[in-house]
Amino acid sequence: MFLNSVVIVLREVLEAAVLVSALLALARNARLGNGWLWMALPIATCLVLLYAYLLAVITDAMDGAGQEVINASLQVGVYLLLLPILVAGCSPVGSQRRRMLSALMTVAVTFAIVRECAEVHIYVRAFAALQEHASAVWAGSALGIGIGVSAGVLVYAALRALPARWSQQGCQAMLALIGAGMVMQATMLLEQVDWLPDQAPVWDSSPWLSEQSFMGELLYAVLGYEATPGVLQVTLYLGSLLVAAGALWWGWKERVKHALPE
Amino acid sequence: MIRFYKGLFFAASLGFAVAAVARTPVFELEIRDHLFVPEELVIPPNTKVKLVVYNRDSTPEEFESYELNREKVILGGSKANIFIGPLAPGVYPFFGEFNPRTAQGRVIVE
Repeated sequence: MFLNSVVIVLREVLEAAVLVSALLALARNARLGNGWLWMALPIATCLVLLYAYLLAVITDAMDGAGQEVINASLQVGVYLLLLPILVAGCSPVGSQRRRMLSALMTVAVTFAIVRECAEVHIYVRAFAALQEHASAVWAGSALGIGIGVSAGVLVYAALRALPARWSQQGCQAMLALIGAGMVMQATMLLEQVDWLPDQAPVWDSSPWLSEQSFMGELLYAVLGYEATPGVLQVTLYLGSLLVAAGALWWGWKERVKHALPE
Repeated sequence: MIRFYKGLFFAASLGFAVAAVARTPVFELEIRDHLFVPEELVIPPNTKVKLVVYNRDSTPEEFESYELNREKVILGGSKANIFIGPLAPGVYPFFGEFNPRTAQGRVIVE
């Protein structure tokens, strides 16, 4: 139960930690401060508790598709929120943009935490309540959180260690990849409830890189790595990356336009 | 006339929905004492099927399969629907993420 708790908690925390780290690095580069994160944490905690409390109702909603539809909406929501963040991150941030950027980051992180951490809460609440498993579940969960947060700190440190210009572009590239990965995961969830058609895998890379390995999990969190993705998943992933690249190009063009008069 | 087309559209939609549900074979699976019962499900190839998973335990479980690209939390004493396929012939393992040592199963497509 100890190892199992480490794995379950690590998987979920890792995904949220990588997103938070990339946003923290972007915010630091834009001199935004960390207020947006401190605002997101209590809101996300309340929503995680509410989601877990309502899970039975959510699961039965929409003819049994409620859980997937809400989770997919949260993930697509994160992607859609990341697009204006990518645009705004291209140019120096004025006070009005600063408030908008902070608000977008708060909502994006809240959505990501609710999506990833509700399952952890359900697991810990159920199994820590059993006398024979309590200590193993608490200790394993604490270790899982520790490793996940440490991986996030490493990502943050790596992004910040880059030269200023590359650091910002590194953050943006990572956020675009995380966003596209979220769209791909949302596609999979909607296929699971037959809202989207399931298709045969385009490739099978599991013999080379298993999704269950630590590297597989890390790439899943950063790139949305799937060993056996379907045609629709790959198409929407690439489409999302293309739209994110378009957002970055637009932001860069705006920056050049504003820079010219000076 | 518009009312007629509306009625026709509604009837056609209902017909398609009923036909789609009727065509999808349903397979049932139980989680009991952190085990999947049955452990093996045999389903037809190249056919979409609906799995109805009943969790008879008091604790929650997460149905998970890397091979099927599926994951769903099922609370204790409740059920969940999961669509899989169409699949090529082969063996597709699944497990309960909250109790992976015991809750193991396979979808066999043949």
